[in-house]
Amino acid sequence: MLRFLGLVALGALIGGLAALAAVSFVAAVLWLNDVLLVSPRGRMMFPHPGALVIATVLVPTLGGLVVGQLHRTLPGRRPHTPADVIAAVQTRRGRLPVREGALSALSGLVSLGAGASVGQYGPLVHLGASLGSLGARLLRLGRSEDNITIACGVAAAIATAFNAPLAGIVFAHEVVLRHYALRAFAPVAAAAIVGHVIATNVLSRGALFHVADTVLPRPWEFAVFVLIGGLGALVAGAYMRSILGVGRLAERLPFPPSLRPAIAGALLGVTALWVPDILGMGQETLRFATIAGAFGAQELLLVLGLKLAATALCLGMGFGGGIFSPALVIGTLFGALCGTLVGALGGAQDTFVFYAVCGMVAVTAPVIGAPLTSLLIVFELTGNYALTTAALASVILASPIAAQLFGRSLFDIQLAKRGLDLSAGRSRAVLQDARLHDLLSHDCVTLPPDQGVSEAVTRLSRSGHSEAHLIDAKGCYRSSVTLADLEAMKEDGDGERPVTDCPSTPRPVLGPQASVWEAMRHLQEVTGEAIAVVDEAGTFLGVVYETSIARAFLQHSDALRREEYGAG
Amino acid sequence: MVRAERRRRAPALAWAMGMGLVLAMGMPLFWPLPAVAAAAVAPPPPLTVLSWGGAYERAQQRALFEPFTDTTGIPINVARYNGGLAALRRAVADQDVPWDLIDMTRSEAMAACAEGLLEPLSSSLVAPAPDGTPPDEDFLPGAFGRCAITHSVFATVVAYRPDAFPGRRPTSIADLFDQRRFPGPRALQDTPAANLEWALLAYGVPREELYRLLSTRRGLNLALKRLDSLEDLRWWQAGDTPTRLLAEGEVVMASGYNGRFFDAMVNRGLPIEILWDGQVQEHETWVIPRHTPNPEAARRFLRFATATERQAELARYIPYGPSRQSAARQVSTHHGTGLDMRLHIPTHPLNAKRAVTRDDDWYARTRERVGEYFHEYFREYSRAALFDTPDEASGAVAEPPAGDKALGPDS
Repeated sequence: MLRFLGLVALGALIGGLAALAAVSFVAAVLWLNDVLLVSPRGRMMFPHPGALVIATVLVPTLGGLVVGQLHRTLPGRRPHTPADVIAAVQTRRGRLPVREGALSALSGLVSLGAGASVGQYGPLVHLGASLGSLGARLLRLGRSEDNITIACGVAAAIATAFNAPLAGIVFAHEVVLRHYALRAFAPVAAAAIVGHVIATNVLSRGALFHVADTVLPRPWEFAVFVLIGGLGALVAGAYMRSILGVGRLAERLPFPPSLRPAIAGALLGVTALWVPDILGMGQETLRFATIAGAFGAQELLLVLGLKLAATALCLGMGFGGGIFSPALVIGTLFGALCGTLVGALGGAQDTFVFYAVCGMVAVTAPVIGAPLTSLLIVFELTGNYALTTAALASVILASPIAAQLFGRSLFDIQLAKRGLDLSAGRSRAVLQDARLHDLLSHDCVTLPPDQGVSEAVTRLSRSGHSEAHLIDAKGCYRSSVTLADLEAMKEDGDGERPVTDCPSTPRPVLGPQASVWEAMRHLQEVTGEAIAVVDEAGTFLGVVYETSIARAFLQHSDALRREEYGAG
Repeated sequence: MVRAERRRRAPALAWAMGMGLVLAMGMPLFWPLPAVAAAAVAPPPPLTVLSWGGAYERAQQRALFEPFTDTTGIPINVARYNGGLAALRRAVADQDVPWDLIDMTRSEAMAACAEGLLEPLSSSLVAPAPDGTPPDEDFLPGAFGRCAITHSVFATVVAYRPDAFPGRRPTSIADLFDQRRFPGPRALQDTPAANLEWALLAYGVPREELYRLLSTRRGLNLALKRLDSLEDLRWWQAGDTPTRLLAEGEVVMASGYNGRFFDAMVNRGLPIEILWDGQVQEHETWVIPRHTPNPEAARRFLRFATATERQAELARYIPYGPSRQSAARQVSTHHGTGLDMRLHIPTHPLNAKRAVTRDDDWYARTRERVGEYFHEYFREYSRAALFDTPDEASGAVAEPPAGDKALGPDS
């Protein structure tokens, strides 16, 4: 009980730290955007049009250069993102590194400050998660606690940045933990509340959307909202595919990776001279997209396409930053486009904002894989129930269609490309991540292939094992023989023949980096005592006993069950 | 712990008291007595305050200057000006500044501060509210500048003739643009200020985002489009035009300064009401110029004049909103007519729910360009009658001097 309360208090503390970090991060981005002439207000207040043109191209380019240099110091030469957080929690690895966390946040800060078309919530979530993990490590807590404190940091970051505590809690469970254990809920909720309190006292912001209370959509409009959801899934798919596609293309470009963000920045800056809406997070664009008549239909299409391309360019070419804010803008533009078309066909214009919000949710929910969080964000930001039910209508089709066609979220797709498949749930992810090398045993009988059968029987009998592994002069694994087979040969009078003549069924072998999951799969095909472990050259390293594989499987499953279903 | 500290402190205290006694007794021996007596008798040097004159100055006299002299014995001389920084610039350059305090609009105070003409001021200078609320929480957001402290707030608001809309009255600034529900001609000031803000508010933009959106061409065009959608629109330039147009029934809604409307309602009995929703507030501040002769006394006055009680008292003479929430809540009746001043104070909680604070910094840097864009748009596209008369059309784009806003029965 005390331990649990301690965890709740730790959650609140981490929530406070993560919220302060988030507040400072957001303030720093806004300040940089004003100073570096990225934000419309900063650009408007700058009186020299010529210098403004130069700054528009130069600032993202130089920002890209800085980001490129920053990434050279990171392992994998890329900033860490919420996908890394999800991987650490889903595999129960935990232990997010501090240095990478800080450098990734810095990379996000420079990217956002210089006007790259990326999101701010990704860096915030990763920063919060890194702080949470650091807290668990400093107090020498276990992996389960580490996972919970990571979730606390994430929840606080979202709760602060959106000023939406419920969305923060649900995001941490829906996207990061992917379970709803009470043991995790209380600390996460404490963190989110602290974040919310800090946000309301430090950040003062207007509602993201404003809706006159009297307007309600007509019944037939809900059908349109569902349809917008279906189409939004395709927009989300196009968005995710473009980011990944540009990433692949970038690999083939004849530039060193550290220069790629600068090239993207230059392209972005030149395009922004023509359509400045694509610079930065695009909060102004988001607002305009909720106002009927702020954009014409063609303009909406143009800005939507360019924003999507700009985001894919920036993220694919290696700027640091999130995927959520641009998805918000793209989704809202898409919804506004639908609203404009419905209006042109004779529909009502007073419900325009409903279309914008439906489009927003339909695109963002699939991208981050979080339909509930998206709905709650709408609810908490607008306080409008009618708007939330409209958004619900559009999520009905958006999330499943996108999941079927593309994957659960962009994070999951990225992780799958890195070899971590979360589509089959967490237990598989944990077992795939658990390595065999701890289970490796040298307590086994090895025989040279030319050993006589009788002698082999004697050695095996004395060792208490029922199997022997044949290792040649070079140390390479040949096959395994059982005591029963050797006894049979001896009975048949073949006692003087070499053991290599003994019949043996072909057996799979495991690499030293094989996972428990892989070993479990092989167990289905093997009837024997142990599986041999060999390296790439075929050198015999030892064996793993079936019992230890089964034990490891049960241990991991138990730990998972305790973490996900434990009440306290 | 505490006791140990006290024990340690005790000898020091005794020593200090002893020294004090010695000094006090020795003092008369070293300082000639007549000089001490002369210093006690001679009045302290007077403070010179530069302010706007008229009814505004009379209100300040009664609510601030006279009580200050009564309390401290420091007399106050008042000098008058109509805004502008030229005189201050010269005085500071000559290191001969005749004023100790200046009553200045916040936009000018920002410019003067940037030029280094003013002493820096901090929020610790003013007193907490009577209930102990610290100044940072009690004052309006943005009340403490680097060199200026907001003491009151005046507003550009919309006034309307209730008799023009039988059975309903406008409650939201969006109603200014709703000529279906509130038919009739409108009059707006011939400048972007306030008009652009109102147009975007009417689209449902939250007030926190107004200037960010107005910083884009899209936002400006959206606002201008909404303004352009008004039929029978009259543009006014002089501050007394809106009340005249409303009085003559030429228009049914007009923008204007809240003090002017107050004057028309109270002193001339004009049947109009004020729509407070979307009011655009501007700050009036106290500043202390560089090289002032009495900086200490000036600070003392500043603390006195910004106290909750004094602010509430000032608002009983003129409809200026106190910059402290504790004072705005205390505002009572008008001295003289007994009118409930709460209905006329921009910062009273009843009126300030959706108040916009004018972004002085933004206007300071964009006024010319935005003004040009504004006038260009209406010259080319407007269906509205743009200017009242040909000679007004040639008038300057700039806003009327701030002194024009300092209102009052006879200003």
